[in-house]
Parts: sequence; structure tokens; C-alpha cells
Amino acid sequence: MSAQDNRAETSDPADNRAETSDPADAPDTLASGPAPDQAVIWLDDLAKTYRAPFTGKRIEALRGISFAVGHGEVFGFLGPNGAGKTTSIRILMGLISATRGRAAIFGQPVPSRRARQRLGFLPEAPYFYEYLTATEMLDLTGRLFGMNRQACRKRAGELLERVGLEHARNIPLKRYSKGMLQRAGIAQALISDPDLVVLDEPLSGLDPAGRRDVLDIIRSLRDEDKTVFFSSHILTDVEHVSDRVAILASGRIRAIGALSELLDDRAQGVEVRLRLPDRAEPAEFGGSAIGAVEDNGEVVATLAPDDILEDYLARALEAGARVVSVIPRRQTLEELFIRCTRSDAEPGHGEVEVR
Amino acid sequence: MLGRIYAFALNTFREAIRKRFLIAIAILVVGTNMFAAVLGQMSLHEEARVARDVGLWSISFFGSMTAIILGVLLLYSEIQKRTIHTMLSKPVERYEFVLGKYLGMAFTLGLLVAVFTLAMASILFLRELEITDTMFKAVVLSYIEVMVVAAIAILFSSFSSPVLSGVLTGSLWFIGHRTPELVRIIDSAELGLFRVVARGTLFVVPDLHAFAISGSTVDGEHVSVHSSFVGWDYVMTAVGHGLFYIGLFLVLAIAIFSRRDFS
Repeated sequence: MSAQDNRAETSDPADNRAETSDPADAPDTLASGPAPDQAVIWLDDLAKTYRAPFTGKRIEALRGISFAVGHGEVFGFLGPNGAGKTTSIRILMGLISATRGRAAIFGQPVPSRRARQRLGFLPEAPYFYEYLTATEMLDLTGRLFGMNRQACRKRAGELLERVGLEHARNIPLKRYSKGMLQRAGIAQALISDPDLVVLDEPLSGLDPAGRRDVLDIIRSLRDEDKTVFFSSHILTDVEHVSDRVAILASGRIRAIGALSELLDDRAQGVEVRLRLPDRAEPAEFGGSAIGAVEDNGEVVATLAPDDILEDYLARALEAGARVVSVIPRRQTLEELFIRCTRSDAEPGHGEVEVR
Repeated sequence: MLGRIYAFALNTFREAIRKRFLIAIAILVVGTNMFAAVLGQMSLHEEARVARDVGLWSISFFGSMTAIILGVLLLYSEIQKRTIHTMLSKPVERYEFVLGKYLGMAFTLGLLVAVFTLAMASILFLRELEITDTMFKAVVLSYIEVMVVAAIAILFSSFSSPVLSGVLTGSLWFIGHRTPELVRIIDSAELGLFRVVARGTLFVVPDLHAFAISGSTVDGEHVSVHSSFVGWDYVMTAVGHGLFYIGLFLVLAIAIFSRRDFS
């Protein structure tokens, strides 16, 4: 479907393209994050409606999202499939037009060439010219940023070493594995030493070692005072590197803020791992413990916050049990994510206070 | 701006020259020229005419077919393979991308036409037939024709599938070579409706017949076009006509491409 069709969805032509708006005119406060003039990425009521081919049915991919990302942040953009993450990123990259709303990067309206001048982008499941070698691909990318040949070569060498592809620099990309392509994609995103790096699903398709390497690169970018905006499904990894996250579902922001703000850091209970004597049951030791015997003969009992751990452990020890571990349970990002995204089926439920 | 356009052009050229079908077409053209030499030997004192005719025809025909194949895939494959996401997310304007792709194709087609010309000239040289500079006027016109066809292909490629783009470009190429028939229809007073349609078609479709070359009348001074003898002034006029349509088609292609969403 053409952009023209999409833009026809709005009633006010002035709202049709994000580039028509000046971020400086925006309200001082948005739902979350820094003020517009200090934001690296700024979105205000951004919406996108597609019209399905043949049926003409309207599909609202984004329903008006607003937030801002500040300088030096590592911002995790989360959501289930079809939530609108990639649509948002593609609007920011100028690949598709917004039906409504405004956006800016480094204060430059989106879409515009100037808005893309200081950013590096890794698309989801990146596709490159497979007949090029990694060096040629980086040379092409560098030239689009106005770098000369010598600067491209120098930077390409550094980056290929950084992403672990120096041994494959002269091999055509068609012979790369998926993980190698992902690394090459990160290298091209960093060719211009950008102040903002946007990564769409950078961890997908990578083995554990590859994921660790990508996370290390994200951490190193933060150490270099860069801003990183990335989407991912791998929540544990997001939890490890993100300063702030936004959870998107059905085209709406369901939660946004620092993890320490979003996640309840109070203990949700305690997980006690015991090795029990024959015929003993974890519930015998009191509290609201429940547990099941695992293959190795150990039992995991979960105590509610109201239960008194010391009493439970004393009774277990008296009964001859051996305590293997005691771990306080706290809310995880996964639990928050499930809570937020479950609201797709139950409107009005699961929204987390936006800060 | 020029650096970015050059980067896209260089990449398009790199991509095109690695396509195997171009080698096949080059072999086909060399084979056609060799066949023309054999055919000329069988003719009665027309050896030179047949060799030039077939040689120039092969440049025009195979050049145009290559332009259609390359042109219809040019933007479509970028969108289909999603390489466009990586490219357009860089600080580039969409018109720079389209112009770069077109210029890359112009380099490629220029190289091909040079190879075709070399093949024709080699055959003529080996058969000890005359090679005149006016033959190269014909080659210049063929190259401009090929570039017009490439611009048509890139226009259709900006909004439709390769098959549809190929059919539409091929149709325009066919109609463009039939402009004398269209003029005859306009001149005929009895065909009122056809006259209107023919007049409209003449207005929209580039006159590719203006680039059609007949090698039979290459005489050392002039290139024969439309059965009349013409010189550099005609060649320049035809080149101007071609450049006008190239510009027009590229502007339309850029206008459409700039408004597209790339989901």
C-alpha cells in the first residue's frame, strides 16, 4: 500500500507527515523521558494505520505513542509480535510515513536526511548485497555518510575486528552465516561512529556466545556515551543492559520507565530448595509452601511474603531436611511483560503507570 | 550529494556486472555478428551492408532487452530483498538513490554497448570491410535509445512488479518504434477516433524510431535514419529528444518512489 493511501486516513492534512511538525513546538512534558529539546529520540502521538489489500480493512499498527529517549541511555523497546515496534522504528528511519503525530531525532524532524545523519541502524533480520564482501559493504555505507575511501577502510578494519569478522572481511556476504550477517550489520551501523544506534532485534538468531558479544557491544557503546535504542524479545538480555524500557502492545505503550521503577523490588516471596528425608512433604513445615519433588530428589518450596522464613527453615531442619538454597523472589521483567501484553485480550487490564 | 549518488551507482554497476545473464547476452551478440558475416558472404555484393545492419540491430535490440531486464529488477529487487531498509536509513535522499541506480545502469549498459560495438567492428575488420566514423554516430543513437528504455523500465519498477514492468516497458518500446505508423494514422482523415488516440500516444511515448539505424546507408558522411540521410545535427536533435524523455521518466520515477512506504 502506498504512503499516500495511509496518509489519507487522517482528517487533518496538516497532521499527515511527521516532517511537517517542528519538535520545538511540542509540549514541554511528554509521557516519559527528557524534554523534547534535550531528547535524542522524541515521539509525540505517533500513529500508523494500514489498509489491508483487497478487503480495505483498516489495521492500526500504532495508536498514538509518545515518549522520549535521552542522551546516553540504553533504551529497550519491547513488545510481542505485531505490537508495532518495527513500525515505530521504520517511521523513525524514514522508511514509512506516520499517519498521525510527530517525531524527531536530535531535534531534527522525521523523516529527513539530517535526522539520520548522526545515527546508525541495524534493521530486523538484515539483508545486505550478498555479492559484496564485508569490506565493500562497509565502504559503501561509509560513503553514504560522506566518508572518504581511506577513512572507510580504517574504520572498517576496526569494526570488523570489534565484531569478530576480521577473518571474513574479504568473503562475499552470501557465504556468511546468520550470526555473521548480524555482526556485519552491527558493523555497518557503527561505521560513522554515530551518536545514536538503533538496533531492531539485534539478538535474534544468535547463539548464546553471539548474544553475549552483542550485549557487550551495547554495553561498550554506553561506556562511549552513545545512545542505544533497541528492540528485542529476549527479556533477560534486555534486563541486563537497559537503563529504561518501554513495553508496547497492540500499538500502545503499556509501560515505560527505568526497570527499578517498573519492577517491584520488594521480595514477592522466597524460594527454598530442600533435600527432604523420606516421605516428608514441604507443606508439613508450615507457611503456604508448595512444592514438587524434582528428578534429583530436591524440592522447591515457595513461601509467600507473609510466611516467616526462619520458622519454616527451623521446622525443616528439625525434620531432617537439608537446605540447598534460599532465594528471594522478585518481580521479573518477563512477569511485567506478560502482565502488560496479556491486556491485549482484556482491555483495561495490565496497564502499568507510566512514568 | 554527488558522492552518495556515485556510491549507489558504483554499487549498482558492481551488482550488474556480476550477473551471469550479461555474459550470455554478450556471447549472443558476438554470435549474431559472426552469423551476419556468414550471411553477408552469401549475399550478392551486400556483405558490408548485411554485417553493419545486423551489427547495429543487435546493439539496439539486445541493448534494449538488457535495459528492460536490468531496469525492471533495479528497484523491485531492493524492496523485495529489503536491502532498501539498510540503504534508505542512511542520510540519503530518495532521489539520490534512484539517480544512483540509474547511473549505475547507464555505466553497465555503456560497457555492454562498447562490447557490442567492439564485436561488430572486429567482424568488419576481419572481413576487411570498411569501418567509418559515421557508424559510431549510429552507436551513439543506439546507446541513447537503450538509456531511454532503461528510464522507462525504472519508472515502472518504482511501483509495479518485474513482470508487469517488463510488459509495460516492452509495450512502450514496441509502440515507440512504430511512430511512422502513428503519424500515418494521424494523417488519415477517415480514422477520427484513432487519430486522437494516435496523437495522444505520440505525445506520451518517446519516438524510438528516431534512434533506429539502417547500416545500409552508412556512407562516411551521414547516418541513415528514417530512410533519409542525416548528419550530426540530426544525431544531436535525437539525443536531445532522448534526454528529455530520460529526464521526464526519472522525475516521475522519483516522485512515485519518494512517496512509497517500505514496510
